[in-house]
Amino acid sequence: MRLSLLLMTLGGTVAQTSVVQTLSVGGATPDLPFVVTVFLALRRGPEAGCVAGFLAGLLQDVTGGGLVGVQALTKAVAGFALGLAGGRLRVGSPLVQVPGLVLLTVGEGLLRFGLLQLFHYPAGLSALMADVILPQALYNGILGAACLVAVGLAEAARARMTWR
Amino acid sequence: MPRVPLVRFRRYALLMSVVLVCLLLLTIQTRGGGMGRAADVVSILTTPVQALLTKAHRGALALWAGYREWKSAWSENLVLRAENERLRVGSLQVREAQTENARLRRLLALRERLPLSTLAGEVIGRESGGWARALTVNRGLGDGITTQTPVIVPDGLVGRVVRVRPGASVVQLVNDPASTVGAVVHRTRAAGLVEGEPGGAIRFKFMARDGVGIIPGDLIVTSGQGQVFPKGLPVGRVVRVEDKGSALFHFAVLAPVADFARVEEVLLLTGETPVDLVALFRKDG
Repeated sequence: MRLSLLLMTLGGTVAQTSVVQTLSVGGATPDLPFVVTVFLALRRGPEAGCVAGFLAGLLQDVTGGGLVGVQALTKAVAGFALGLAGGRLRVGSPLVQVPGLVLLTVGEGLLRFGLLQLFHYPAGLSALMADVILPQALYNGILGAACLVAVGLAEAARARMTWR
Repeated sequence: MPRVPLVRFRRYALLMSVVLVCLLLLTIQTRGGGMGRAADVVSILTTPVQALLTKAHRGALALWAGYREWKSAWSENLVLRAENERLRVGSLQVREAQTENARLRRLLALRERLPLSTLAGEVIGRESGGWARALTVNRGLGDGITTQTPVIVPDGLVGRVVRVRPGASVVQLVNDPASTVGAVVHRTRAAGLVEGEPGGAIRFKFMARDGVGIIPGDLIVTSGQGQVFPKGLPVGRVVRVEDKGSALFHFAVLAPVADFARVEEVLLLTGETPVDLVALFRKDG
C-alpha cells in the first residue's frame, strides 16, 4: 500500500513535469499531483492524503525552483482535510466530486497565496486567480471527470471478468 | 488509551509533523544568513531527487516524442501503403490494357491481310482437362457460325468449332486428343496429320518414306485438302523426329505456334479461299 502510494505520487509528479506540459490549453495546465492527492485522500483517508500531498508538493517545490515547502504544506493540508471530509460527507457521487475538485483546487491556491504572502510574494490575487488558479481548477475538474470515467470503466470491466 | 483517540492522535500528529517540517524548510530558506548550512542540507537532500526527476522528465519527454513520432510514421505508413496499393492496381490495369491493345492490334492487322471473311471473337471459357481441350468463344448461331469453322490467332491455327450454341461456340483445340488436322511440312510439302495427345502436346504423323527430309525447326502448316481449313495456316514447329524403325508411320513432336493457355481473342474464318495463307502469318504477327 505504501509502495503504491509512493509510486502514484511519484508518477503524478513526473507526469506533471513531462507529459502534462504538452496538454497545455491556452497556457493552463492541470495539477496532476494534486488530482492524485485528492484521489488518494478520498480512497484511503486523511493520513494517505496528507503524506501524498506532502510528497507531491515537496517534489513539485524541488523541481519548480521556488520556496521548498510551500506546496508541500498546502497540498498536505488539502489532502488531510479532504481525507477527513470524505469520511464524514457524502462525496461518492461524481456530481459532488468534480465540482469539489474544482473548489478544492481554488482553496489550495488561496492557501498557497496566503502562505506566500508571508514571504512577500509579489503577484496580486486577482491576476493570480484569473490567470492561474481558476483555469487550473477547471482543468483539474475536467481531468478529474475523465479519471472518474476511466476508473468506472475499469471497475466495470473487472466486475465483468469476475462474473465469467 | 482507547483505540479511536489513539488513531485520531496519530492522525493529527502526522499533520502537525508535516506542517512543522514545511515551516522549518521555509524558515531555513527565508532567514537571510540562516540559509547557509541548512540550505546546503536541503540541497544535498533535494539535488539527487531533482536530478533523478529531471532524468525521468527527459526520459518521459523522449518517450512521448518517440510515441508521437511513431504514431505519425505509422499513420503516414498506412496512407502510403494505401497509395502504393492503388498505384500498383492502376499500373497493373494500364499494363493489362496495353497488352490487350497489342493483342488486338495484331489480330486486326491479320484480319486486314486475310483474303477471306472473318469474325473476331473473345474467349469466355476454357476446358483444359486431359479428356478434352477446348475454348468457348462468344460467337454463336446468331453470328452465322457453323461447326468446322476454323479458329486462328495471329500466330496460327487454334482449332475448329465443334459445337455451336445461340450465343457461343465451343472450339476444339489442335492439341485435343480427338483433334486431327491435315497438314504438310512447309519446306518439303511432305503430307501428314497433326494429332493431339492426352498430355497436351501435338505430333505430326507422316509416312516413313516422306520423313527423310523433316528436321527440327520445320514449320507444319495446314494442307487445305480436307475442306475444313484453308491452306497454309501455321500449326506448329518440329521439335524432334521420333524414328520408329520399320514402322509405316513416323512421328514428329511439334511445338504449337499458338499458346493455347493464353489465347484471349480469336478470329473465326467464316469464308473460304484457295490462296496459301502461310505468307500472311509473319513472325511478328
